[in-house]
Amino acid sequence: MGIDIANYHGWQGELRHPVRGVFSIARVALLQVLRRKSYWLLLILGLAQFIMFWSVIYAVTQLDLAPDFKKTILREFGFSAQADEGKDNGYMMFMERQSVVVMILLAFSGSLLVGADFRQRTLPFYLSRRIGKRHYIVGKLLAVSSLILILTVFPALALFVEYGSFTSGWTYWIDNWRIPLGVLGYGVVLCLANSVWLVCLSAYLQRAAPIAITWSSLLIMPGRLGEFLWKASDNEYWRLLDPWRDMRLTGQLFFGKFRKDFDRDLAWWAMALIVAVTLIALLALVRRVRAVDVVE
Amino acid sequence: MLLDLQKLSRSFGRVQALRDVTLRLETGTVGLVGNNGAGKSTLLKILLGLLPASSGSGTILDCDIRHTGLKLRGRIGYMPESAAMVPLLKGVEYVALSGDLYGMPYRDARRRAHEVLNYVGLGELRYRQLDEYSLGNLQRLKLAAALVHDPELLLLDEPTNGLDPAGRQSMLRLLEDLIAETGKSLILCTHVLKDVEQLCQQVVVLHQGTVAKSGPIEQMTRAADNRFEIQWRDANSDFLHKFRDSGGHVLRGPGPSGSATLVALPESWDTRQLFALAAECRTVITRLREDDEDLERLFLRLTEVPGVTP
Repeated sequence: MGIDIANYHGWQGELRHPVRGVFSIARVALLQVLRRKSYWLLLILGLAQFIMFWSVIYAVTQLDLAPDFKKTILREFGFSAQADEGKDNGYMMFMERQSVVVMILLAFSGSLLVGADFRQRTLPFYLSRRIGKRHYIVGKLLAVSSLILILTVFPALALFVEYGSFTSGWTYWIDNWRIPLGVLGYGVVLCLANSVWLVCLSAYLQRAAPIAITWSSLLIMPGRLGEFLWKASDNEYWRLLDPWRDMRLTGQLFFGKFRKDFDRDLAWWAMALIVAVTLIALLALVRRVRAVDVVE
Repeated sequence: MLLDLQKLSRSFGRVQALRDVTLRLETGTVGLVGNNGAGKSTLLKILLGLLPASSGSGTILDCDIRHTGLKLRGRIGYMPESAAMVPLLKGVEYVALSGDLYGMPYRDARRRAHEVLNYVGLGELRYRQLDEYSLGNLQRLKLAAALVHDPELLLLDEPTNGLDPAGRQSMLRLLEDLIAETGKSLILCTHVLKDVEQLCQQVVVLHQGTVAKSGPIEQMTRAADNRFEIQWRDANSDFLHKFRDSGGHVLRGPGPSGSATLVALPESWDTRQLFALAAECRTVITRLREDDEDLERLFLRLTEVPGVTP
């Protein structure tokens, strides 16, 4: 039977719940990022770091190396496969190092993921469909979170599986149940904070250069200032100005181990600060989306 | 009933965008016209459930506009005026995304995207990225995105915006065929009154947030039946005075010497009574021409000349 393309054909079907629009928005946003060849460089950089850690674990567990050399490698990568040895957890270190790649990727993708919707007036296209503003916002947050998960949480979990596979298997995984919990918790903190902050910033600034500059400045400058004030006043609370450090401290709450007892107190303050800033950013974002909708 | 609005108002701070808009429109094709700032976009947003009204009530497609925004948008296809492009997407992906966002199942959205792209004449371009589309093709693409879920009502905001004459005619023909084939209702928001005359049966003229006039176009322009442009000589002041006393209206003029005056005869009159009055006043009518008031002139009269009654 031939296809009749000259005449209009109707459609009879049931429309599904608007919440599914969230996943469509996230899927399309990720597609946009993956279609930019320049972003592949950053993704490859993230992958390279993962391969390096993967190789370290392989070297330590599988190769016949001198014990001192193994210790050096472990120390260099901050790697402790045991959760209760009190050292920096290698998985957390991996995620922290990946966060640098995440920061750079988000700085440049904010304009594409969100800024373009405001700059090119695409927002009426989204909001005039059968979704609400909340679906649009959650969809964009999910897209940014997916990028963060791909670069931090999933590789960290893969490293955990690898270590266990090369050592005592189920015993290792069960004894160190806190590690995947820590990875997931730290991942949630990274996802929630970074996605809300980035989407809010992109909604206001819209263009790539201002977003990149402001994003980088906001994540680096307060930390530098905090360090300076800490050294000047010997008050460690000033270091709470560093958002990356705050996220790491909050993530450490999930891992359950701190280098110093004082860090545990700081971690709760860090979490409070991140929650407060994230809430403010979320309110600003909702206001921005509503304002554009009204003005358009 | 397509639209039933009762004293709908919307303000933004001190700015009153819509004021006591009351409309009853049957299903069919409706043109929504008005100057910039008349309140067209605000009205469209309220109809789409994107903006709540400050006061008043109404239904569209028998759904309450105050409470059923998401449900309503499943029955309406909206084509925005703005570019509304999603960077790096291909044509078929853009239309499929629209289907996804309307709530269509994944496979249906994709299949349907291909169908509507064929229908609007973009079958050959479906795999091109959006930045490769010409303006005319982008307008067709936006129309396809509005049609993908087979809505009952199409809301088109400036569908011929930026198109050259050939592109404009092509779009209008497409819309005419679509309406004729499917019987869908259409609300066409535009500045181009010729488009409204070509496509629509009804028109709503918005002016400064209120409805200046609404109804079937044919009836509204037929109101010019009793309108004439006249010129005369040897006039004395009695002629116009007596004309007004008889129930006639002077709509324009008399202007500088020699220019025509636009008058509306009393309802019970025809031209014989006008000539009889002229003879009584010893005035010779040198020119009498029936006034053809098309939609554009009606629009200008309603929106730019204060105090003029239709």
